[in-house]
Amino acid sequence: MHDFSRRNFLKVAGITSAAAFTGIGCATNGMRGADKAHVVVVGGGSGGATAAKYIKQFSPGMRVTLIEPNATYYTCYGSNWVIGGFAGMDDIAQGYDTLRDEYDIEIVQDRVTAVDASARSVRLEGGDSISYDKLVMSPGIDFRYDDMPGISESDADRIPHAWKAGSQTELLRSQLRDMPNGGVFVMVAPPNPFRCPPGPYERVSLVAHYFKQEKPRSKIIVLDPKDNFSKQGLFEEGWAEHYGDMIEWRAGSAGGRAEEIDVGNMTVLADSGFERVRADVLNFIPPQRAGQIAHDVGLTNDEGWVPVDQLTFKSEMDDNIYVLGDASVAGAMPKSGHSANNQGKIVAAAIVRELSGHDPINPSSANTCYSLVTPEYAISVAAVYQYKDGAQAGVEGAGGVSPSGASSSFRRREAGYTRAWYDGITHDIWG
Amino acid sequence: MKKSHLYLVGFVASLAMAGTATQAIADDEITRGQLMAASCKACHNAAGADQGVTDLTRLPAEVIASQMRAFRDGDRDATIMDRHAKGYTDEEIDAMAGYFSRF
Repeated sequence: MHDFSRRNFLKVAGITSAAAFTGIGCATNGMRGADKAHVVVVGGGSGGATAAKYIKQFSPGMRVTLIEPNATYYTCYGSNWVIGGFAGMDDIAQGYDTLRDEYDIEIVQDRVTAVDASARSVRLEGGDSISYDKLVMSPGIDFRYDDMPGISESDADRIPHAWKAGSQTELLRSQLRDMPNGGVFVMVAPPNPFRCPPGPYERVSLVAHYFKQEKPRSKIIVLDPKDNFSKQGLFEEGWAEHYGDMIEWRAGSAGGRAEEIDVGNMTVLADSGFERVRADVLNFIPPQRAGQIAHDVGLTNDEGWVPVDQLTFKSEMDDNIYVLGDASVAGAMPKSGHSANNQGKIVAAAIVRELSGHDPINPSSANTCYSLVTPEYAISVAAVYQYKDGAQAGVEGAGGVSPSGASSSFRRREAGYTRAWYDGITHDIWG
Repeated sequence: MKKSHLYLVGFVASLAMAGTATQAIADDEITRGQLMAASCKACHNAAGADQGVTDLTRLPAEVIASQMRAFRDGDRDATIMDRHAKGYTDEEIDAMAGYFSRF
């Protein structure tokens, strides 16, 4: 059968010009498989939207469908600016018009309720099913409220996590605005691993910035199960310089570990129950796990995250499903929007190469993360990653944090780059 | 028999031609340099240009390569690019530099 087809093909080739034959040859060998394929992307955040866009950049003929329940996506990065009172929700709002109109990505505003991996199709809350050749999942995080006695997810309308941006961001902002001068803001920080490692500490920085201006007798207490945190030395340097003793950070081994939350009394029991910390505004950032759909599909490990082949971000559980972003286990790469963006490009390249019959390439990627200590004072961490010995690993000698003891003009320059980074990465993802 | 043999010769000859004539198609194969350039584009695109973050899609490859080496080797002042540039070899810098103008 194969020989017969080939002979017919050769005969046809014989009566066409060499140039035309070249064209047919290319289409068969190269991009034709990719062109016909349908990739479905679940989740329109930093990872999913990047993957969708870059698949179309790398292989414009491929059909890409992006499924996202929200018409407007609010980025977690930048949400602390809103909580600090110097940016609005519009400043962190992103949409899908450009991806639809300029990149020819089909946008489906719906929620995926199930994935049938053997039939290669996803089911939507609205009732439809969509079949795929390759499925990309960027489901983000969900919370483990069960790990903290006394509080459940339904309490989030009173004790916000504000760790998914949107109405939760606005709720925490309004609570801080309503808090009297002299009040206490208590944050219960999450254990590792969690979305945006410097995020809790940027948040208390910018709440302190707001308090310093509007409610200077107020106090901030961070109850942390950990004994150290991202950019710690730089944060503490900035806190001392700008906020004096307004921010009190309690390490896990020094009584910072929260044991229970008394929701009715807005009180956190810590230090094996010896300490009761009362809050006027309480921000409980729960322990985290991969987004629920990843669990439903059976892609998660015992720790609640998604193991992947870190060369391609293909799920270890299914050959046609790729999982990226915060939900994935990605070696040294932190759970950040910048990591998700870079992983989206790795996934896009891996899918296009696989469908074109090419082996995966050894990817190179980076993370850049700015944190504001004040609106005019920023610190950063950077890293470059390569795939090594089965995992994403930081390239030795590269990366690291901003220098300690740097001048105020250095910090100011990085604050400018913080905003430029936001504009740049959101343009790269949704623009 | 003879005829099909001739066809086969034609096929091989066409393939040989395809090797050179289809270089543009071969470029559609995503390369490591292209993926590295895509990584940089997270920041270095048109949106950040008026805030001091260079839009690399508008710079010649030689300038990108020389400035990456300058950042890496400490010959150019930086806040963060020195930390990034140390992550790349000369070969990697050259491999990525040529791709920006194509985005």
